[in-house]
Amino acid sequence: MSLFRKLGEPGAAPATLTRRSFLIAAAGTGFVMAFANASVLLPESADALVATKSYDPNLWFRIDQQGLITVHVIRAEMGQHVGTALARILADELEADWSSVRIEHVDSDPKWGMMVTGGSWSVWQSFPLLSKAGAAGRIALIEEGARLLGVSPSACTARDSTVSAGGRSISYAQIVQRGNLSRQFSADELDALPTKPASERRLVGVDTQAIDIPGKTNGQALYGIDAHLEGMVYARPKIPPTRNGSTVVSVDDAAAKAVAGYRGHVVLEDPSDTVPGWVMVFADSTAAAIKAADLVEVKWTNDDTASVSEKDLLDHSARLIADPAAGSTVVDDAGVDAAFAAAATTFEAEYTTASVLHFQLEPVNATAQLKDGMWEIHTGNQWQSLILPTLAKALGVGEDKVVMRTYLLGGGFGRRLNGDYAVPAALAAKALGKPVKMTCTRADDARFDSFRSPSLQRLRMGFDADGRVVAMQHDACAGWPTKVMVPAFMPKGKNGEPYDPFAIAGADHWYTVGAHRVRALSNDLANRSFRPGWLRSVGPGWTNWALESFMDEAAHKRGVDPLAFRLGLLDGAGANAGSAPNAVGGALRQAAVLRRVAEISGWGSTLPPDTGLGIASSFGQERDMPTWVTCVARVRVNRDTGLVTTEKLFLVTDAGTVVHPDGALAQTEGAALWGLSMALHEGTQFENGQVRDTNLGTYTPLRMGDVPDLQIEFIASTEAAVGLGEPSTTVVAPAIANAIFNAVGVRLRHLPMRPADVLAALRKPAKA
Amino acid sequence: MFKRLVLGSLGLAVIAVLGLWILAYRPAIDTIAAPGAGSFLPERIAQGEVLAAAGYCATCHTAAGGAPYAGGYPMETEFGTLYSTNITPDADTGIGQWSEAAFLRAMQQGVSRDGSHHFPAFPYQHFNQVSDEDIGAIYAYLMSLPPVNAPAKAPDIAFPLNLRMLQAGWKLLYFRDDAYGPVTGGSPEWNRGAYLAEGLAHCSACHSPRNGLGAELTGEAERYAGAAIDGWYAPPLKAANTAAVAWSQDELFAYLRNGGTALHGVAVGPMSPVVHAGLARLPEADVRAIAVYFADRFGPAADTATTAAIVARALASGTPVIGQPSPAGEQLYAAACGSCHFNSGPVPALLRVDLGLNSALSASDPSNLLQVILHGVGVEEGLPDVMMPGFAHAFSNDQVVTLAAWLRSQRTSLAPWPDLAARVDALNPPSPPAP
Amino acid sequence: MSQFQLNGLPVQVDVDDDTPLLWAIRDTVGLKGTKFGCGIGMCGACTVHLNGRAIRSCITPVGAVAGQAVTTIEGLDPAGQHPLQVAWVAAQAPQCGYCQPGQIMQAATLLEDYPNPTDAEINAVMAGSLCRCMAYARIRKAIKLAAAQMQGEPQA
Ligand code: FES
Ligand code: FES
Repeated sequence: MSLFRKLGEPGAAPATLTRRSFLIAAAGTGFVMAFANASVLLPESADALVATKSYDPNLWFRIDQQGLITVHVIRAEMGQHVGTALARILADELEADWSSVRIEHVDSDPKWGMMVTGGSWSVWQSFPLLSKAGAAGRIALIEEGARLLGVSPSACTARDSTVSAGGRSISYAQIVQRGNLSRQFSADELDALPTKPASERRLVGVDTQAIDIPGKTNGQALYGIDAHLEGMVYARPKIPPTRNGSTVVSVDDAAAKAVAGYRGHVVLEDPSDTVPGWVMVFADSTAAAIKAADLVEVKWTNDDTASVSEKDLLDHSARLIADPAAGSTVVDDAGVDAAFAAAATTFEAEYTTASVLHFQLEPVNATAQLKDGMWEIHTGNQWQSLILPTLAKALGVGEDKVVMRTYLLGGGFGRRLNGDYAVPAALAAKALGKPVKMTCTRADDARFDSFRSPSLQRLRMGFDADGRVVAMQHDACAGWPTKVMVPAFMPKGKNGEPYDPFAIAGADHWYTVGAHRVRALSNDLANRSFRPGWLRSVGPGWTNWALESFMDEAAHKRGVDPLAFRLGLLDGAGANAGSAPNAVGGALRQAAVLRRVAEISGWGSTLPPDTGLGIASSFGQERDMPTWVTCVARVRVNRDTGLVTTEKLFLVTDAGTVVHPDGALAQTEGAALWGLSMALHEGTQFENGQVRDTNLGTYTPLRMGDVPDLQIEFIASTEAAVGLGEPSTTVVAPAIANAIFNAVGVRLRHLPMRPADVLAALRKPAKA
Repeated sequence: MFKRLVLGSLGLAVIAVLGLWILAYRPAIDTIAAPGAGSFLPERIAQGEVLAAAGYCATCHTAAGGAPYAGGYPMETEFGTLYSTNITPDADTGIGQWSEAAFLRAMQQGVSRDGSHHFPAFPYQHFNQVSDEDIGAIYAYLMSLPPVNAPAKAPDIAFPLNLRMLQAGWKLLYFRDDAYGPVTGGSPEWNRGAYLAEGLAHCSACHSPRNGLGAELTGEAERYAGAAIDGWYAPPLKAANTAAVAWSQDELFAYLRNGGTALHGVAVGPMSPVVHAGLARLPEADVRAIAVYFADRFGPAADTATTAAIVARALASGTPVIGQPSPAGEQLYAAACGSCHFNSGPVPALLRVDLGLNSALSASDPSNLLQVILHGVGVEEGLPDVMMPGFAHAFSNDQVVTLAAWLRSQRTSLAPWPDLAARVDALNPPSPPAP
Repeated sequence: MSQFQLNGLPVQVDVDDDTPLLWAIRDTVGLKGTKFGCGIGMCGACTVHLNGRAIRSCITPVGAVAGQAVTTIEGLDPAGQHPLQVAWVAAQAPQCGYCQPGQIMQAATLLEDYPNPTDAEINAVMAGSLCRCMAYARIRKAIKLAAAQMQGEPQA
């Protein structure tokens, strides 16, 4: 079962198709396609349903009398051009003229079902649904077009928004104007709907310009931070010293009163306990709010997390990992302990990663107002369905009284999966009785971030006398976002203990390693001290760093080429054989991308001194939705300074069907560079209950000049389309660590890898 | 015995006071009715306007936001704060009742119409070098201004230094009443430059160090040796100047005329009004003459080959190192400064002020660099229409120190500045953390 | 209270002189194309032109631009068709797009100083413009496209 289905409303995506049916009807000025509510009896006519409004008007798309096709998109646009990809899936099946397709990002509404944009799921999850919606529309248009043309539907073809038969044709616009579209598709009909074979696709897999791009080059694109409501007051929070355990003792705003436009402050009362200890400072402009908040002095009492450091967190992880009874066993084959006991040799290593900030470029913000009895929250968000109940609780109203208006996101990367920032804006608007726009400064944003928890992992492998791998155990301990934010969504491990799938995915790999155990451990000190977040590529961001570094180490230990070692384990045997529809081919597809990247990177060739190639691979985010990715990094290490120069990254991806190739390439470029940034450039530390680095003076994400040569390839495939936004993030750091080893013979086991770490390792006397 | 002693000291004191009084005594000059603009030839007024500008009269005699020439501008000195006076022709609070003779005496002797002594913050020691003819033109110009009623503000100086009478003693010690005469052997252009620089433009008032009593040091070693001024640093105007590329006559001219050059940087801080409000009004030939005069003081300029080599070295030192996090200063520079300051060879661009060549970076005193990092360069300063925002609210003082120290080490081959942190804190007193 | 020219039109903003130009443009005038990223001059999201050259509006007090000409992304080209904007679309440079107005404004000054920029020049001048989506490869490509296009134009 996929994570999405676990996370979704009962019976999300595919189940929806069987529970609901499509309804097509003339409505208003055009033609709409919607889901009929399951409770609606199908024999009733579509027109009647529209007339009585007894249908569930969750319009997936509509066509107006001019033939303009509007596709509704429930996913957040945060750089992935998701609307374009989704609309093309639908338009392809609809045989629509692409130039008449528009997209509309919708506001939150229960009718859309689960609204979440993350996990690289959007295309994968929407593909079947949107194809069916497009196909159903095409069939309805062909049938009505045939009637208007006086021919049989079977004599008609649809292409470019036109139905043709012989020499005669009628456009979709004309059909909408003149026809009487009324059609229902029952669940069985939907199942039987013919979608096009891959060879017939005209839009999917073909490059196009993303619809959202022009507005992003001329200042017209509107982000949450651009929201403007009549009569709104500007606000900036005073963020307490700890995330969860601070209480306001006193507030002194004497100095702030000198700021022109300062309007006062409130201590937020938060029934949802999302932002305990927050004080909101109000003013007539963002600038005045920023200035005034600096001058408002707040005294807090804090809990014990005010003194927690990164080292405390990692020490705590170490204690947990040392306890064999702790944690949840996500994979637990029979006989793991016996296999280790019987192993001729074992090998063990530990890996750590530092805290990482999201640092999405648009600091978090939200604007809230009560209007006509509805609470409107204007902000960019990735998981409306998650925060809506919290907002309702905070405001003391029913969920049906809260709506989230949709804006572009100035970067998501998982930060905006956690919509906690909407709560203080709503509370402030309630307290003030006026619309409130809250904007965090960059430092506020960093201190309030749901950053990526530091992690500690221990990996062990057992070999038999012939050097064959017979056992493997992977223990990973970190703060758990899902435990903190959606505990109900945690599945249970083999030992019955719930676990955060997002904090361990990646460790359940496709290598055949004999008896295998994966243990996920929740760092409760982290969970208390801050709000661990989902950050681009989530769990695999660290699990795959450890796994793929470890695979290399194990190969070297065995004296085997790391590529050959991996290929030997990717035999596609047993559970690693894969399954339809998403993981056809299983481990053998991972082996294929490894071979391909070795080919294009010149794996095995001789390189200049202190230069090395390193390889790493992964299956992306989830076993159920594998995106086969692999990377070879070529690095040069300066032995005097420890500086690592990444000369080139080679990446090969098999993501099944690629809907929007240029968009896929952009996502892969971005993901790979994120991986590089987290490998060598960025990373912070938890210090005294806070992140140490809160702005660019000390936090140093990758910049223009740091970008290496990128050679990126996709395997041509018509398999199920899977996710692309994250997987490449996970392979870069281990590829670089492995390349550093191959270049200068030192092994780094902590992210980020700083020049000082490289130098220290180089200066350490070599161990036997 | 004791009585004699007391009487004796008293007597000495009386004699001293009496002596000082005699020494200090200057008669008042009779008041006149304000002559009005109509009593001067327009050409003379116009001439005076240019000369007044070249003497930066308005710079010191105008308070922020106040009427031009109406005074009230505060001058911080080691001894306290002085306020400039109203020199509009207002009868009550300005110089409306001053005769030209009274004005001449004030300018050249530092004695007010009523006979009291001016503080030497008013550079009469320099105006003393200006011809009666030129001062008369300035008088004509000032008298043509609209009168503004603006009473003088009392100096904020502790007793006894506030006694104007004491200024006579100061004068006795430091004032040389030697009207200007051309130096033989100097070309007419050189002499014109010297006349302007030493007189009206009073360059050495800022560029020469002063002694404990605020008097310019006039020995050849100290003269034009560079000095701290209003939180800035006026660099040496002689061979001791540490600019990466030694100043040439052309560079001096371009700097004084345009407010900046590609090889040295731009005029900011107190030097900005000198160029933009002052010398800007002088004809080109006069500015050229000043350049000629100082080029002579600076000594030989760098030749073309040397200059090219220095420029190449400086630009090379500005090539960003890319890759992993480098020294913190470099990170700050790359993200905050490089987009405007980076130059790629062979020649630096005028508008992309190159820090490897910048005088502020090679100066022995870091003040100018720090001031600019902290407070930026206004549109009216430096090169026309170009501005640089300051980072006082963006960077912590520690980061400013890190950046300045890194620049000094990366972009020059000079010794690090000592006490950089203290200097930054002095220029930007630490305040609550920035957002 | 400051007056300046914004995209060719005179504006007057009734805010303190020390208010960052960024917020005067966004909140007071209401032009939202100029973005807030870091507030300390190190991300470039707020880049506008002052008298034709790129500056960081987040650290520029509005009082400092009194009487001057400020241009934002909305005013770079009346139709949004500046060669850089055209190239940006052609290269499909933006991802989330949040950094892009600033990137484009910075790139305009880059091309003014270096009409045919080398990679090193792009690296150094664009280093101050952070793209968190890491769309750097395409930003570089778009700059070169625009440069080629502008070079090809007959000199006016
Ligand atoms: S917001 Fe101005 S540079 Fe970042
Ligand atoms: S496109 Fe998102 S920050 Fe650049």
